[in-house]
Amino acid sequence: MKDLTDSLSKLVDKIRGASHIDEETLKEVLKDLQRALLKADVDVKLVYELTKSIEEEYRKEEPPSGISSKDYLLYLIYNKLISIMGGETEAKVELTKRPYVILLVGTEGSGKTTSAGKMAYWFSRKGYRVGLIETDTVRPGAHDQLRQLAEKLNIPFHVDPNSKDAVDIALKGLEKMRKEKVDLIIIDTAGRHRNEEELMKEIKEIYNAVTPDEVVLVIDSTMGKQAAAQAEAFNRNVPINSIFLTKMDSTSRGGGALASVVRTGAKIKFVGSGEYLEDVELFNAKKFVQRLLGM
Amino acid sequence: ELGEKEIEEVLNDLMNELLEYDVAFESAEQVINAIRSGLIKVRAPRFGDKTAVVNSAIYEAMLDLLRDIPDMDLIQDMQTKGKRPYIMMYLGPNGYGKTTTIAKVTKYLMDRRFSVVWAAADTFRAGAIEQLEGHSEKLGVKVIKHQYGADPAAVVYDAVQHAQSKRIDVVMIDTAGRMHTDKNLMEEIRKIHKVATPDLSVFVADAMMGNEALEIARTYVKYVPINALIMTKVDAYPKGGSVLTLLMELKRPILFMGTGQGYDDLQKFDKSSFIKQLLGMEGMQ
Ligand SMILES: Nc1nc2c(ncn2[C@@H]2O[C@H](COP(=O)(O)OP(=O)(O)OP(=O)(O)O)[C@@H](O)[C@H]2O)c(=O)[nH]1
Ligand SMILES: Nc1nc2c(ncn2[C@@H]2O[C@H](COP(=O)(O)OP(=O)(O)OP(=O)(O)O)[C@@H](O)[C@H]2O)c(=O)[nH]1
Ligand SMILES: [K+]
Ligand SMILES: [Mg+2]
Ligand SMILES: [Mg+2]
Repeated sequence: MKDLTDSLSKLVDKIRGASHIDEETLKEVLKDLQRALLKADVDVKLVYELTKSIEEEYRKEEPPSGISSKDYLLYLIYNKLISIMGGETEAKVELTKRPYVILLVGTEGSGKTTSAGKMAYWFSRKGYRVGLIETDTVRPGAHDQLRQLAEKLNIPFHVDPNSKDAVDIALKGLEKMRKEKVDLIIIDTAGRHRNEEELMKEIKEIYNAVTPDEVVLVIDSTMGKQAAAQAEAFNRNVPINSIFLTKMDSTSRGGGALASVVRTGAKIKFVGSGEYLEDVELFNAKKFVQRLLGM
Repeated sequence: ELGEKEIEEVLNDLMNELLEYDVAFESAEQVINAIRSGLIKVRAPRFGDKTAVVNSAIYEAMLDLLRDIPDMDLIQDMQTKGKRPYIMMYLGPNGYGKTTTIAKVTKYLMDRRFSVVWAAADTFRAGAIEQLEGHSEKLGVKVIKHQYGADPAAVVYDAVQHAQSKRIDVVMIDTAGRMHTDKNLMEEIRKIHKVATPDLSVFVADAMMGNEALEIARTYVKYVPINALIMTKVDAYPKGGSVLTLLMELKRPILFMGTGQGYDDLQKFDKSSFIKQLLGMEGMQ
């Protein structure tokens, strides 16, 4: 870990050391920033765009009085990234109607089913009644996985091991959950990626049939540029409203998620950092950016 | 000869391309350095198309980087080792495709008249045992299992016993996914490996991985030997550069690539066509 990390913490040290930033330091700092972002899996073009816009902003104006040029540059870098990620305030999670319906989508193995369980856990703890629906007819044992999670949480669920019709399962599940009078319905779906046309068509059909209040894309933080490429592909088929970022217990920096946010306009709401249902928290942009920069 | 400036330009473009396709930063730098020395030797024609000469120099240099990685054929390895049962242990981070790959490789071996038994050594993740059983019903394979929460090493032990008494050719061990940062789980995989003494320890990696591939590979090998790699979800990302990261870092052969969710979506890996594809030189002779 140590050797490949932290060009930016070094960079921060570099500027902290310097009282005034000359042309050479500026170039060096921006170059180090580029390296840090590239190591964090941020898209190459996006990296160059970002550093360019930071440089332009830095050159445009004198730092506000009383602020040194180094602090000003650090502030610009940090601020730029924070604003991309949606600002410093913690993610807002609201159920604007009852029942509120969430559709979970994402590539294979990204962590959808586990994250469905985590969201159910999170909202249950807030006092809401949550119901889970499994529409994955592709992966063997998918319904057992969801059932076992729901049983652990002691919440209502709907699965149908004998059906191959995801839309039908979703609709029957909705009906059952409405009767159960839950506040939140989370619909889990099979994993799929942008080259699987049939499955992409299926997700559209599920979306059209259930008209969810929110579509949550589940992104594996250990993925590279495909995080954003896949996010875009999903967003072309169903509107991606928010992101659940998983496997943050890895050492990954999450640059793929940053690019996904830029490409889809969706915000990250939840972060998963372990295999247990309790390993979930609300997204915090400050923490995210610090990690992205290796601070 | 190529001018210094020309070479740096070519290398700069290539670096960006490698990064774009998710070769880890450090690995991409290694590639660039290796290619630089190759390019310095290139004699480019004074007139006409330099690209072809440059491309072939890049291709040769990359192939050279992977030269010391042996090719591997599963059946051949089974025959060479001549063991029954031949024990394969599958390991890797969460959700990368271990269980599905076991089903595919089993189908591959059954098509070639080998008998297989599975050890359900993922006793942790919800639905893990039922997932294996679902595949086993379709393929007609026996699953040796215990309860959830049971010691995975005990399941492995039972499966090997079963294979020995029933004269089954191959045991496949499905271990739970684990993040390299979880020291307890990494110690556990070390222990399972000790008990299993596999003939082939297979690391299952996702073609969509980014820079984290490097960290994962480096940590995994500290705990458990890796003899071969299988890249999954290549259908989602045929140009996935993590293949190169892992090859360079682990120096182990790629046994198969997973190219879909079906049982037959399994392909052999070929170094030279992978490099050509990564470089966008598919047409090259
Ligand atoms: N370490 C870690 N593992 C996670 C996290 N979230 C999910 N997982 C694991 O990742 C693996 C895949 O999770 P699933 O929930 O089955 O993924 P999925 O997206 O539903 O998979 P498909 O339905 O097959 O597409 C499992 O081993 C989970 O335990 C996380 O935040 N950290
Ligand atoms: N498209 C595609 N999907 C794949 C491939 N290999 C595996 N998958 C899918 O990836 C998802 C996860 O696969 P699993 O086999 O459950 O992964 P795992 O590594 O056993 O997961 P854990 O045991 O939870 O760590 C499933 O939905 C599989 O269908 C592949 O080559 N291509
Ligand atoms: K959107
Ligand atoms: Mg699932
Ligand atoms: Mg598995």
